[in-house]
Amino acid sequence: MKKVDKDVLVDASSRLLFTLKEEELDTLLEEFKILQAQMEMMKEVEGLENYEPMTFPFDVSVDYLRDDVPSEPLSRDDVLRNAGSVKDGEIKLPKVVG
Amino acid sequence: MNFEAVIGLEIHVEMKTRSKMFSSSPNSFSRAVNTEVTPFDLAFPGTMPRLNKEAVRMAIRVANALHMTIDHELHFDRKNYFYPDLPKGFQITQQRRPIGSDGYLEIRKGNEKKRIGIERIHMEEDTCKQTHFVDYTLLDYNRAGVPLVEIVSRPEMHDGYEAMKYVEAIRNIVVYSGTSDGKMEEGSLRVDVNISLRPYGQKEFGTKVEIKNLNSIKNIQDAIDFEIERQSKALLSGEKIRQETRRYDESKGATVLMRVKTDAVDYKYFPEPNLVPIRLSDAFVQDAIDTCPELYDSKFERYLQMGLTEKDAEIILSDPAMASYFEAAAPSGADMKEVANFLIVEVNSYLNKTGKGIKEIKMPATELGKLTLILKKEKLTHKQGADILFKCLEDGIGVEEAKKALHIEAMVDDEGAILAFVTEALDKNPQSIADYKAGKDRAISFLVGQVMKLSKGKAKPSAVMAKLKEEIAKR
Repeated sequence: MKKVDKDVLVDASSRLLFTLKEEELDTLLEEFKILQAQMEMMKEVEGLENYEPMTFPFDVSVDYLRDDVPSEPLSRDDVLRNAGSVKDGEIKLPKVVG
Repeated sequence: MNFEAVIGLEIHVEMKTRSKMFSSSPNSFSRAVNTEVTPFDLAFPGTMPRLNKEAVRMAIRVANALHMTIDHELHFDRKNYFYPDLPKGFQITQQRRPIGSDGYLEIRKGNEKKRIGIERIHMEEDTCKQTHFVDYTLLDYNRAGVPLVEIVSRPEMHDGYEAMKYVEAIRNIVVYSGTSDGKMEEGSLRVDVNISLRPYGQKEFGTKVEIKNLNSIKNIQDAIDFEIERQSKALLSGEKIRQETRRYDESKGATVLMRVKTDAVDYKYFPEPNLVPIRLSDAFVQDAIDTCPELYDSKFERYLQMGLTEKDAEIILSDPAMASYFEAAAPSGADMKEVANFLIVEVNSYLNKTGKGIKEIKMPATELGKLTLILKKEKLTHKQGADILFKCLEDGIGVEEAKKALHIEAMVDDEGAILAFVTEALDKNPQSIADYKAGKDRAISFLVGQVMKLSKGKAKPSAVMAKLKEEIAKR
């Protein structure tokens, strides 16, 4: 299992474009310790490899499908409201590929 | 040493549903940028995916046309990656259980048919459209969430021609099933090619190169043929093929390097927790199949039975709008072979000249059908038919009216009637007979003109000429 230390958390938060305070990092590290300890306990259960991972807590399926009817979209102003930079109605970003 | 190319294709097809795959945002190609976007497409907190029924029906039709096993339970997965074209940070796709698996299609290679295996077809959502400039990128979220089917072939093609025919066949299926407009130049059908070379007889695959950004069927063939040549030369000179992504540069007629692939990206797929498995009833699946519009192959066979040549059938079917115009002429009892001739030559030339599409022309298909019947009944020439046709197209009038306006009347090829005109013309012009006998060929053209005048243009010129020669010989 991957070791989660301060560097890993700082790297992850920076990739997600936010900064964590020192005490937040400490809290998160404590939480990860508990999580990882619980995962270690799971390893002790025998025969786990014989089971499919359970995505949904109940064996349930539906037959619901949405009718193909369009609804009113957002106005362009609303779409662009959170954009840092806009050009000709599009969201402008620094170039990320060569 | 000779090498065998091993080619597999991944084709993404945008479905022409009215709304997007998981959101009810409108889905149309031509709207202004960032005007077909709902909060779900922008991954706003609390928004949830709701699967489009029509997209599922379309995927079933394509899977059925490709002879695939259809999964009656839909499962979706998250493909995780961090990139601006995908605000959620993941794409919803079908990694573990595609809707269709293990099918095939047949391509024609000369007189033979070849079966190409298809591994899977799955549904997923498109990403937003990025336009790259020198130092910035623009994002249009209209495309984010557009329903896609991805069709993955088995690596069973061996040259550019086979790949080209395969893509053509897929395009015909998605277009005629009403799933997509299949326009490669607009990106509604996108093809990625995987190609590797190996010495003949070797079982293991060589190193795979991917070619992207192929925007026409012709480019697919050209790019593959170029790539086979490039890799052969490299291998023969002892070079190693790198695992890389290339794109086709049409102006150079060559593939060029985009990026070298390092480690495979780990997308950390996991089941999409916001969409529980969806059970499709047998009746739902069967209904989607039963209501599928007639497909290309079936139309092709039907056109041959109407008397069309394979080439003519292919030309008409290459444009679905033309095919439906052609079929709309049938109920008038038309001579369909003649309808095809007019469509392929005269109507096409009119469309090219005016820059119009067939949907915009003023002449109803039933009128074209009627024209073929009149030609036959009144023994008019194809040229006269074409004149009437152009008049109808230009003035938006019916066949009868156009014929009247052009003073075209039923032709006379009745032998007795023609003989009467010929005799009268010869009696009036003894000098022309003498001239013709003296070797002046022009004299007979003069006589034909006289007969046409007497018959008010109704005599069939070929019949007149024959009769004139016959009668002159007797004098």
